[in-house]
Amino acid sequence: MTIGISTYLIYLALSIALTVWVARTLHKNGRVFLVDVFHGNEALADSVNHLLVVGFYLINFGYVSLALKLGYAVVTAEQSIEALSVKIGMVLLVLGGMHFFNLFIFSRMRRRSTRHNHPPVSPDAFTATAVHQEA
Amino acid sequence: MLALTVLYDPECGLCKRAHEWLAEQSKIVELNFVPCASDEARKRYPQLDHDLTKQDLTVVSDAGAVYFGPKAWLMVLWALVRYRDWSYRLATPELLPTTKRVVSLISQNRYQIGRVAGLNR
Repeated sequence: MTIGISTYLIYLALSIALTVWVARTLHKNGRVFLVDVFHGNEALADSVNHLLVVGFYLINFGYVSLALKLGYAVVTAEQSIEALSVKIGMVLLVLGGMHFFNLFIFSRMRRRSTRHNHPPVSPDAFTATAVHQEA
Repeated sequence: MLALTVLYDPECGLCKRAHEWLAEQSKIVELNFVPCASDEARKRYPQLDHDLTKQDLTVVSDAGAVYFGPKAWLMVLWALVRYRDWSYRLATPELLPTTKRVVSLISQNRYQIGRVAGLNR
């Protein structure tokens, strides 16, 4: 096996492991948020959580796959490590971006669901209602 | 809050058109329409200043909270599934002055607007 091929294989193994790790973290810790957002509807929360993680995997593996090509020959071990650091660094940054994007979605959904019930403005006055007296 | 009573001006074409539009919207909070200063309105709210409700749109919650003018418009938006988010957006400190200005302008010129748009039939 040439150094070039092993560089690619190490890149794939590391990227996949990192993506799986981040996705699992999201899946495990995002659930609490979603259960709260959907007012305790756990089945719906699990479903949305799963769909989010699938999207996360698709985007990240898509990026990992597209970014695989080095475009120059790697001959020495030194070159291999340098190439790997650049590639893995990019994968980490994309993962980080995606992760924060997911957190943003979670917090936005939560904010939407919590502020739902109070009126947007305070009343100008109060008046007695005859409707209640009749009922 | 489960229901809002909207005291609207029955003589204004624009208000009638708005009423029709509101009837078609899906709601989070029920909206009851009562002509302002009518017998029904006086019966429901004996202590309310009904001359004031003729000047601008008034909304009363089932708990008796009174919202007048621009605030009443925001409460009506808040009652609608599609526009609840907008009611919060328009009520933020940055946008509230503009909302109030625009709504007052429409409200004060509602007969003219209705006439120009051909709604006063």
